[in-house]
Amino acid sequence: MAAVTAAPAKATPPRRLIGKYLQPAAFLIVGLLVPTIVTNVPAFEDRWLPLTTMVLCAIFVLFTLGLNIVVGYAGLLDLGYVAFFLFGAYTAAWLMSDFFFQIDPGIHIWSAAVPTAPGINISFWIVLPIAALVAAIAGVIIGAPTLRLKSDYLALVTLGFGEILPQVFRNGESIKGFNLSNGTKGIAPVNALDMYWLSWTGIVDDKINVFDYTTRYYVIFALCLLFVLVSIRLRDGKLGRAWLAIREDELAASLMGVPLMRTKLWAYGVGAAAGGIGGAFYCVSLGGVNVDTFNFQFSVIVLCMVILGGMANVYGCILGAVILTWVNYTGMKEIGNAINNTFGTTIEMPHYQFLIFGFVLVLMMLFRRDGILPAARQKQSRAVDEQIEKIGTEEAPA
Amino acid sequence: MTELLLDANQIRVEFGGLVAVNDVDFTIPVGSIVALIGPNGAGKTTFFNVLTGLYKPTAGTVMFDGKAVAGRAPHQIAALGLARTFQNIRLFGTMTAAENVMVAMHPHLKGGLWQTIIGTPGQRREEHEARDTARELIEFCGVRGDSDEFAKNLSYGDQRRLEVARALALRPKLLLLDEPTAGMNPQESDDFIAFVRRVRDEKKLTVLLIEHDMKVVMGVSERITVLEYGSKIAEGTGDEIRTNERVVEAYLGKAATQGAST
Amino acid sequence: MSSTTQAVRAGGREWNATNITGSALLVLVAAWVLWNFIDAPTQTLQVMILGLCNGALYALIALGYTLVYGIIELINFAHGDLFMLGSIFAAVMIADVFGQETSNPAGWLAFAITFPLAMAFCGSINVAVDQLAYRRLRKAPKLAPLITAVGVSFIFQNIGILWNGSAPKSRNSVLPSGGLNIGAISIPWTYLFTLAITVPLLMLLTWIVQKTRQGKAMRATAQDPDASRLMGINTNRTIAFTFALGGAMAGAAAIMYVQTNGTTRYDAGFQLGLIAFTAAVLGGVGNLTGAVLGGLLIGLIQGLNDGAPHGLGQEWSQSVVFTILILLMVFRPAGILGSQTMEKV
Repeated sequence: MAAVTAAPAKATPPRRLIGKYLQPAAFLIVGLLVPTIVTNVPAFEDRWLPLTTMVLCAIFVLFTLGLNIVVGYAGLLDLGYVAFFLFGAYTAAWLMSDFFFQIDPGIHIWSAAVPTAPGINISFWIVLPIAALVAAIAGVIIGAPTLRLKSDYLALVTLGFGEILPQVFRNGESIKGFNLSNGTKGIAPVNALDMYWLSWTGIVDDKINVFDYTTRYYVIFALCLLFVLVSIRLRDGKLGRAWLAIREDELAASLMGVPLMRTKLWAYGVGAAAGGIGGAFYCVSLGGVNVDTFNFQFSVIVLCMVILGGMANVYGCILGAVILTWVNYTGMKEIGNAINNTFGTTIEMPHYQFLIFGFVLVLMMLFRRDGILPAARQKQSRAVDEQIEKIGTEEAPA
Repeated sequence: MTELLLDANQIRVEFGGLVAVNDVDFTIPVGSIVALIGPNGAGKTTFFNVLTGLYKPTAGTVMFDGKAVAGRAPHQIAALGLARTFQNIRLFGTMTAAENVMVAMHPHLKGGLWQTIIGTPGQRREEHEARDTARELIEFCGVRGDSDEFAKNLSYGDQRRLEVARALALRPKLLLLDEPTAGMNPQESDDFIAFVRRVRDEKKLTVLLIEHDMKVVMGVSERITVLEYGSKIAEGTGDEIRTNERVVEAYLGKAATQGAST
Repeated sequence: MSSTTQAVRAGGREWNATNITGSALLVLVAAWVLWNFIDAPTQTLQVMILGLCNGALYALIALGYTLVYGIIELINFAHGDLFMLGSIFAAVMIADVFGQETSNPAGWLAFAITFPLAMAFCGSINVAVDQLAYRRLRKAPKLAPLITAVGVSFIFQNIGILWNGSAPKSRNSVLPSGGLNIGAISIPWTYLFTLAITVPLLMLLTWIVQKTRQGKAMRATAQDPDASRLMGINTNRTIAFTFALGGAMAGAAAIMYVQTNGTTRYDAGFQLGLIAFTAAVLGGVGNLTGAVLGGLLIGLIQGLNDGAPHGLGQEWSQSVVFTILILLMVFRPAGILGSQTMEKV
């Protein structure tokens, strides 16, 4: 019973190899050149693609990649991703400021703060893995009782956590006398992003200046790159297969030896870690943390980025994150201005933001559910579906 | 007395007021091919589900390979060496054939989170070997499509064979086949009988079949157990079952037995 | 349907960690209520009654959720925002179209006319959204209609901003102010009215579902849409009808909300919607009486939390409700009146 089908040769022909690496290379090159492109074209820097927005885009890329692991790979409907963002940001705030001013003289570990400052002042690069860990632990705590629920209930429960935790931090100025979060006042300022490990080469300063968006961009870009690699390595390995199997048919997966709870928790933990890292960077980049930042809208927007971009496709997610963040922070306003200037109207586009957003969501779900850049497996299997559906109708292929 | 791979004792499954499996004793000798048959609704699939851990029985014990497994989680039982195929094919459609098979290697692969992320030589080697093993199993089972083809694009026959390959990836001691010849023509069924024997002989495992096709059942099973309305009504070789009055009655009704003469 | 692979416990109820914890929690809550009552009986009673009245509003909204979830297993995220739109509609009708702002016979007439209008308004919008959007996604994976509902929710909220402004608008009630005074406790007439209409509406709904042909079609479609279609039931029309009913309930809640709370705000829907869905789950999703019971209970607990001497205060209100939701889903997803359905694989 030898293979009879015209299977492609096992050795990939050169054109295929180029094709396989073209997409990642393109994304890498464009990503690296963003600050250069943006700062050298006035129309971009001032209006259409300010570097500040690009930095935000990159932060959301990280969030999107994280949620992609939970929703895209493992198929777990998480509507409370904001919780991990929250934990990451506050961890950075706690460990990189004088919030714990009671600790005097302060703890200093390679931080950029003034040596006499009180509180906990740890280098950003040490805080990063700590924030990731804190968020991951939160993910496991949230996930352990809830991941066995069916998808709609899981969505609701994660939403619940995503509402409770910000409220706890909002009321956190005095929980039985203990100041957890400074409540609505937020925690600011936080220490600058220290770069001692690189500054000795002279490429960068000791710490990133408040106005230096270029260096900041490259830091977050590097973090995104790292997580892209992590995502792809995991997806191609044993865990990734287990996630996809669970997403496809978790009953069959468990009967094939995949431990459901453990595997789902891993998805949650890894996704949460990304949220934590993004949160820590966000806090340091903005110079502080404010509880109003953390709400359900965030969870939904990141989810939309995953879906719009293309679930389970790393590059789709990147695209989705960049596009939506841009639309949110720059696009709406600038398009509105352009329309007004051209047609003499006075439409305030940001007022219609939710309307447009909502319509895009609905239309995407109705007509292009797999996103802008669907994962290859989705695309190919859908193509066959559509062919099968056409059989017997006028459109049947010859 | 040959060694028993599976020893299920007084299994009882109740769904609310309905008794789906009624105090059934069931054993499987090591290395045998046995079948479980009975009219629809007899409780066969329910019994299967108890064995694989999907249902926890209301009462009764199951000893598999010397270990008590009733009520354990499905993935644990699978890791112990109990694999199954499904009545309605349940492949992971958007994964390739090879990936489907590799999923079932999960309990045997060691690569942890960090090894996978870093891509240690050990992990990479393990992945290569896993992929090779998957291709071997796919070929062994006679799947004619490309192993890098998405499972849902394979032909029906190939999908059935792929399910067996996937189950074999668990390195099972016991293979449960749930109506494996559904939808097959007589030639394919004959091929399948030969295939089951080959699997048992070459992979050194034990097989339990649920089947409706009597030709297949008679052709491959060494012992047949008959269930009706959740209870065991007969057990024996093909000839014994064929002439058993209660069995005929269960399948064909009382009128058949009244007219029957053996 | 369900994708859980928790080994099914075939057989009767068994006492395990889950059940025991759930029951223990209920006992604790009951004890806490008692504690409040003992310390400040009048205050506790007052907040409990006001809480019940809010609960009636939650109940009406919860009915809408549970109807739709019961038939197509969709958590209609936009339902709360539909309610919000209805509230603006009702307020605008009474104040601007009929020009009534005080409690007098003309005002009551305006109210009486607007009541069914609000129900029709919300009902038709709900049906429209179903036919335009959700209908095409009946066979799609759960994620698709859920996200669509989120999108619709956004659209509704934006309409709310454009219609009502981004700040809350205060509206005068046309129902008599003041209330029924029993001893030191005062129950506003508007709240009593809300309670008073919730029960007949529930009874009407129950009658429709149990006794009419449409109701039977609804129950059949909820159980097995394919089989229902084979039996000649137009499942699409049945589902549309369900959306209409659910929307109508939201409309009723909407007009009462304006009368009792005296404001319209574009973000009223999100909060109230989630609370109402918690109520639906508490009572047992798909169960009409349960939705009302759940609504009243949640209202009660929320009232106690916000106003009782040993409550955590209003700033913890949402956390309390969501904690209840989470605990419910983890320990007793079937809710109070639901039954633990065992799935045959």
